[in-house]
Amino acid sequence: MAAITGPSSISVRSRPHQTLALSRANGLKPVSLSCYGRSSLSFGLQQRSAQLRVSCAAKPDTVDKVCKIVRKQLALPDDSAVSGESKFSALGADSLDTVEIVMGLEEEFGISVEEESVQSIATVQDAADLIEKLIEKNKA
Amino acid sequence: MNIHGLQRNFCSAPTTLLPVQLPTRMESHLCGDELQKRALLARALVRTTIARYTNDRVDPRSLNFKKNGYGKPEVEWQIADDWQPPALQFNISHTSSLIACGVTVDSPIGIDVEEKQRKLKHHILAFARRYFSSHEVEHLTSISDIEIQRQQFIKLWTLKEAYVKALGRGFSASPFKTFTIQLKAAAKRGIYLSRDVESEISEISVDSLGSENLTNNWQFLLLELAGSHYAAICMQKHNTLGGKGNVPIKLTARRTIPLVEDECVLGTSAVVPISGLTF
Repeated sequence: MAAITGPSSISVRSRPHQTLALSRANGLKPVSLSCYGRSSLSFGLQQRSAQLRVSCAAKPDTVDKVCKIVRKQLALPDDSAVSGESKFSALGADSLDTVEIVMGLEEEFGISVEEESVQSIATVQDAADLIEKLIEKNKA
Repeated sequence: MNIHGLQRNFCSAPTTLLPVQLPTRMESHLCGDELQKRALLARALVRTTIARYTNDRVDPRSLNFKKNGYGKPEVEWQIADDWQPPALQFNISHTSSLIACGVTVDSPIGIDVEEKQRKLKHHILAFARRYFSSHEVEHLTSISDIEIQRQQFIKLWTLKEAYVKALGRGFSASPFKTFTIQLKAAAKRGIYLSRDVESEISEISVDSLGSENLTNNWQFLLLELAGSHYAAICMQKHNTLGGKGNVPIKLTARRTIPLVEDECVLGTSAVVPISGLTF
């Protein structure tokens, strides 16, 4: 919860229930802003709420790189629908493809993925999140 | 080649029973609808096959399935007063052009199929160094012909997959580096099983490199299916009475379109044993 002082006071809180569907769709954890202020507010934000989405998942750049590697491995055209929520199995990847994809990710990002973690990677987003976790670990 | 002759010498149980789907022309990576169709076909294949081996007592539609703790599918038999269900276990594998279902009596089974022409995006030895055991890397490195090296790689991959699937605990619980598949030339016997009468029969075994000793009881079969696929099958060994030697595998292979067509293809060019059949 954050509070901003000034002519109006804005409180920020997350509303998990109504925004869960959105967060699943694009891998972002949303935060909603509710504005409470006096009626003399000049910009009339009184009792209106705005949605501010803040990304807490892997960087879009990482997701894009994963998509590129997946497309290459599965020989999919550049314009094929591959995004964070794409499941490897739904894209037609079998176990050998998945292992090759992981190997491609290791080479691209300079990381090492334990075989134990491979099974937990079901979507592109899963792979991207794991990559960033491993990169962070390497830095530490 | 004379598979039929061997069957006369086999003892009773355990048996490996192997229906096989004829290849159809499809892309090498299926998407969307085609994936759904394949999933449907695979389910139909499993149901009709298991039902057949209940002597048709059970309707394919009425079979229930569950998953073990690691997600491996199993039959969940309904308890009936007047009937003891057979101890059938199964496993399936598929490529874009073939679905294979292996069924055994009383033995865990793992099966993996792969297109013979499958090519890796990575360099084979780099891939093997990353994922295979050092013994297997050595074996592959020693092969100078690139095409034969690639074929041996695919065979090793299917054998390793079949083993992990037989264990039933998933890829992550049995990482590929923790065990080695060995292909040993066996002593020549009276009847040769390969097309080339000159070549030796090889035995396939697995050695665990980790602390767990899971590997005593497993035996392997490597076949060529429909001229286009390698198939590896892993199942448990059963000892003969008196504990000397192993009961040989009695293999049946059928090519089937569930509910439409069904023919035994053992002894035809559709099923060519490569390694592992011993007697």
